[in-house]
Amino acid sequence: MSLKYGVLGLLKGEPLHGYEVKNRFEAMLGGTWDVNIGQIYTTLQRLERDGLVRPAGPRGDRGKQLYELSPEGQKALDQWLAQPDSGPQQLHEDIYVKLLLAARIANGDLQGMLARQKRAYLQRLRDLNRLEERARRDGRLDLARLVRGALLHTEADLKWMDELSSERFGTEGAKTE
Amino acid sequence: MDGRIVVGTFRDGGGENGMSELVRLTDVTKVYQGGLTGALNGISVSIEKGEFTAIMGPSGSGKSTMLNLVAGLDRPTSGTIAVGGTDLGKLGEAGLARFRRDHIGFVFQFFYLLPNLTALENILIPAQLMGNVATARAAELLDQLGITDVADRYPARLSGGQQQRVAVARALINNPMLLLADEPTGALDTHTGEQVMELLAGLHRQGQTILLVTHDAKLATRHAARVISVMDGKIVDDARLESPERAPSDVIRVRTEEVSR
Ligand SMILES: Nc1ncnc2c1ncn2[C@@H]1O[C@H](COP(=O)(O)OP(=O)(O)OP(=O)(O)O)[C@@H](O)[C@H]1O
Ligand SMILES: [Mg+2]
Repeated sequence: MSLKYGVLGLLKGEPLHGYEVKNRFEAMLGGTWDVNIGQIYTTLQRLERDGLVRPAGPRGDRGKQLYELSPEGQKALDQWLAQPDSGPQQLHEDIYVKLLLAARIANGDLQGMLARQKRAYLQRLRDLNRLEERARRDGRLDLARLVRGALLHTEADLKWMDELSSERFGTEGAKTE
Repeated sequence: MDGRIVVGTFRDGGGENGMSELVRLTDVTKVYQGGLTGALNGISVSIEKGEFTAIMGPSGSGKSTMLNLVAGLDRPTSGTIAVGGTDLGKLGEAGLARFRRDHIGFVFQFFYLLPNLTALENILIPAQLMGNVATARAAELLDQLGITDVADRYPARLSGGQQQRVAVARALINNPMLLLADEPTGALDTHTGEQVMELLAGLHRQGQTILLVTHDAKLATRHAARVISVMDGKIVDDARLESPERAPSDVIRVRTEEVSR
């Protein structure tokens, strides 16, 4: 998620302090995002420097500053919203690199590694299911829907491991050694 | 009391809460006639009373074969299967049929309701086979499964989800000690499938032992704390999943990109 546009989006409705921006994110995404207040302030400063946000009124007590969207910020936000999420798919497939490397040294038998990974994904699915249940019970629909997306992604990861293990992935590498 | 059937000799000696074994397969193999390779190639596994276990694996890996053997619908080529302390291999054909009727509930992907009987009549068949009048139990199940208002309809006039509920009720009418479900959500859309699974989960919370075959890992892990993976007729993994309360950030994390420059 782009922090820049996330912040612009939240400022669209009303001027906010830095810590209010953080709280809004937390209300939407339930502590699943790893941004600290320092990053929010840095982002706001850079957005101000680039003319996308501007101070709304003078600094309040303890130096608190309200920010609002500038017309340029509004334009940048609208453009971003209108754009579909495209470009290369962002993967961070540690496991695949592990498997590729292990295939060169593990005598072609990656079944154990695949089984361990599958089990980890099953546990993740269980954790996500419980989180979704909790989010729905607490009426946190935004979080529940995010978790649902994560469930589907993890299911795909699991299916990938299934494909790799049923095509005996790794054994062909051993033959050419 | 309300038509419930006492499971006489099969009640096991273990306490109601303590774990006790309900199903045990020992070195079970199954080679079908004309089968080139075995459908099951040495399965040993034990299922505890009250467990909700999911069996997963690719098509043709032997999941249905395993369930059919546990249900006593078919016999293994070698190995032993005990359910509720009864060695199924020691039962003759009649004994096996009686065992199935009295103690096993089976739900299939395609419901298998009799088309010329109403929903209620379908539900009552297994009880009638036992010579029991189970109308009170049937009413209780209809209510529990939310299908009371369609009890007098014929299967052709029921939605897939309703038909599967009827099939679940039929499977439960004799209070089976073991409920087997072979892809019960396979013919249903996601939402209806989830409802049927919720129903099974509710039964499990009331103590029902369930063995479920499914291709849906999301649904399996939602309800079953144990997932057995089968491949080429063998158990390749037996995962007992943990269920701790985890903080959202320990389960899922949205990565953020900061503004650079
Ligand atoms: N009645 C039968 N006669 C001969 N072969 C059979 C019979 N039933 C199943 N098989 C074979 O036994 C193997 C295991 O089949 P089984 O139906 O148990 O698989 P499954 O895991 O349930 O698959 P699916 O996910 O497609 O339902 C397959 O190779 C299948 O072709
Ligand atoms: Mg099958």
